[in-house]
Formats: sequence, structure tokens, C-alpha cells
Amino acid sequence: MTTHEDKDLCALEAAHQESQERRIVLSLTVNGKPVVEEVDPTMLLLHFLRDKLKLFGAKEACGEGECGACTIILNGEAVTSCLVLAAEAQGAEIVTVEGLSKDGELSILQQEFVFEDALQCGFCTPGMLMSARALIDRHPDPTDEEIMEGMGGNLCRCTGYHQIFDAVKRAAKREREELNRS
Amino acid sequence: MLSQFDYVKPLVLNEALDVLSKNDNTYILAGGTDLLIMLRHNLIDARHVVDIKAIPDLNVFSYKEGEGLEIGANVVVNALIESDVVKEKYTALYDAASVLASFQLRNRATLVGNICNASPGADLPPSLLLYNASVKIASSEGVRTVPIAEFFTGVKKTQLKKNELVVSVFLPDPGQGDTSCYKRQTRLKGHDLSTVGVACRLDGAGKVSVAINAVAITPLRLTAFEEELNAKGLSEETILWGEKEIQNHIRPISDVRASKEYRLHMAGVLFKRCMTQLMEKEAHA
Repeated sequence: MTTHEDKDLCALEAAHQESQERRIVLSLTVNGKPVVEEVDPTMLLLHFLRDKLKLFGAKEACGEGECGACTIILNGEAVTSCLVLAAEAQGAEIVTVEGLSKDGELSILQQEFVFEDALQCGFCTPGMLMSARALIDRHPDPTDEEIMEGMGGNLCRCTGYHQIFDAVKRAAKREREELNRS
Repeated sequence: MLSQFDYVKPLVLNEALDVLSKNDNTYILAGGTDLLIMLRHNLIDARHVVDIKAIPDLNVFSYKEGEGLEIGANVVVNALIESDVVKEKYTALYDAASVLASFQLRNRATLVGNICNASPGADLPPSLLLYNASVKIASSEGVRTVPIAEFFTGVKKTQLKKNELVVSVFLPDPGQGDTSCYKRQTRLKGHDLSTVGVACRLDGAGKVSVAINAVAITPLRLTAFEEELNAKGLSEETILWGEKEIQNHIRPISDVRASKEYRLHMAGVLFKRCMTQLMEKEAHA
């Protein structure tokens, strides 16, 4: 005789079996390093980065693409990773905030965020930095309007936007100067 | 996310259509900016997700002079903004694309996804209505074409059957001397659908057409209003008359975004702003 508990266990096992069968082998590049991981097709890219790769820079706040805290760069484009399936990133090149610094030294963009006090609690900062990175890659000499447009999808609830705006502007300028010097 | 689905990424259209026709609870994934929200909020129960981004047929984005512009299901909204053809020939569509959500979302969101999601407040449909766009729909049984005005059937409802997907949207060439614009009122720039949005077009022959969103269960072309307007002839007085008259042609409701009264008022204001801009543009042309 089977009890209800046995039935539940059977159902659980069947579900587990099914989810094992659906798994996808994902191979991609994250911050320049090749990554191969098995994932469930329902896993979000944001959760893949945080839970599987332990890259905690990208944050989950709204979970519906409104706040920009989970912004990463996917194949050169800023996207909200909370609305992308991990499976969609098959073969992709991803840059997260962890990939901005080189050899333990903050990038120019990060240095300017520090210099301008462009962060207070810091929760929105990784997303801000990735939107700014994609913006400066697109427009090395961004106009005020282009900065507002490029950063408009990122919400901040404490720093205020002026410092962030100034940091992006200064970073773009310094990067141009460095490029001319080299 | 409660849905337990498998994920397939076919390389040819027929394979995607095959999965669609053989399985219930199958959802198409292009940009995913609406689908993922529905999945995350458990509003749908998906068993199969078909990612169409690897199907080359759906990447089409081409303009032929004298014929028109075809926009495939994989064309993202930022690609519309970057296109000179869209900016110069279909300015209302450019305006609408420029205000749709935020930059990050526009990198993923597609025009076809925007119409398939069929939100009454979606930004892109009014412009498509102005240009008499047609929607190319495919299933394993064949291809059919539907005028955009017949595509929407209700709130988040379209003519699409379970086994069908939209291949592309086609906008006929507007020809010379045609201008248009789209203006909307929204609660938060970059973060919300329109509270009310108006698109106006002034074609080469001086005829005006008007379309509007967020005042009915579907986006609307205001044909009766257009007839009255065109009978009067275009002038500053007509625009002022139209600002009031447009309110007799729509029946908005009050909801979380705005009251009925505010929508009625803003429909008039946005109509006036659009028409004033188009008249100024024509005067300088």
C-alpha cells in the first residue's frame, strides 16, 4: 500500500528526473574567461551569474527590467539580465562589473565614480557602471542628452543623479585623453 | 518562476512552426522583455519556449523605394532608432521607438514583440496604423497577411492562432512630402507605457491621419475623426477644433495610470502638439 507521502515522493522524483533531462550545457565567456556549466532552461541569466558563478555585482531589485540594477554587457550591448534566460547566452561574451578592473586596479570609469562620490549605498552602482561602460563604448564623447538616454534605464534611490552624470562625463573625457596619449 | 519549460533554438523557421503546431503551452521568445515578465509573475504556464533569434528569415530589415519597409521579428527597437529610413520616412515610428522603455530594454525588445504583446498602451502600434502596415503571419499550414488595423482584437489579444507566429511587419512606402510624428504622455520617462499617445501623419496630398493608444482595448485609427478633419481642410482653426473634437471619438477609462478626464484632455493636447509640429515642418519644407 502506498501512502500519500510515498506518492509525493514519487512525484518529486519524477519532477527531478524531468528537470535533469531538460538541462542544457552552456558554454560562454564571462569577463574574458571561458565558462562551461549545466543549467536548467528556466534559469535566468542574472541568477546564473550570481548563484552559479558567484558574481554578485549584478543585483536583483525590481525583477522586471525597470530599475537597471542587473545591467550587464551581453555581446557588446547593455541589457537587463533579469529578463534574459541563461540559455539565451549560449556562446555569448558577457562583461559584468567584476570585469571592469584590471590587475586589481579600478578602471577609469570606476575611479571617476569614486572621485565624484557617485555612489552612496552602492546597490545601483554595478548596473550604473555597466550602462555607462556601454554608453562610452558607443559614444566616446557623449553629449549630455546621450548620457541621459544611456543612463535613463538605471534608477538610484539615494545618491542622486548629478554625481553619476558628472562621473560618466569625466570618465569619457579621461578615456579619450588616455587614448590620444597612447 | 513556476513554469517548467524546455528551451529550443531552431535555425530554420519551419522547425519553429513545427514545435508550435505540435505542442500546447508553447511561447515564442525574441527579446523576452514581455515574456520573461509574464513567466516571472507566473501569469502563463509555459511548457516549451522557442527562441527565434537564430532564424535568419526573421532578421529581415530592408527598405525598397516605391515599395516599403519590412521589419522582421528579430529586429530590436534600437535598430529602428538607428535607421535613417525609419527616421526620415516613418518619423512617427522613430518618435515612438525613441520613447519606448529604456535603452537596455530597447536593445532586446522587438517591434514584432511589441505588437504581439498587444498592450493597449504600447507605443509602436499607432504609427503602424498610420502607415497601413500589414502583418505577415506564418504557420505550418502557410503564410497569411493581416492589416494591422485588424490584428489587435482586445487587451493583450490578437488574431494570432496558437500555431502561428509573426514573421514581419511591412510598411508601404509613404512617398514624397510625407511627414508624421508621435507624442505621448507618460508617468515616468523610460519606465512606463503611455498614459495616452497620439500619432499624426500629413501625407504628400495634404491628408491627415490620426491614431491613438491607451484609450480603448486596442490601439485605434480614428477614421471618422480624420474624415471630418480633412473635410474642413488643414488650418490653425481646424487644429483647435480638432483638439476638442477628438474627445468625441474616444472613450477612455480611468485606471492606475490616469483618469478618464485626464486622458480625454491629453488626447486633445497631444493632437494639437503633433499637428502644430507637422504644419511647421511642412511650412519649412
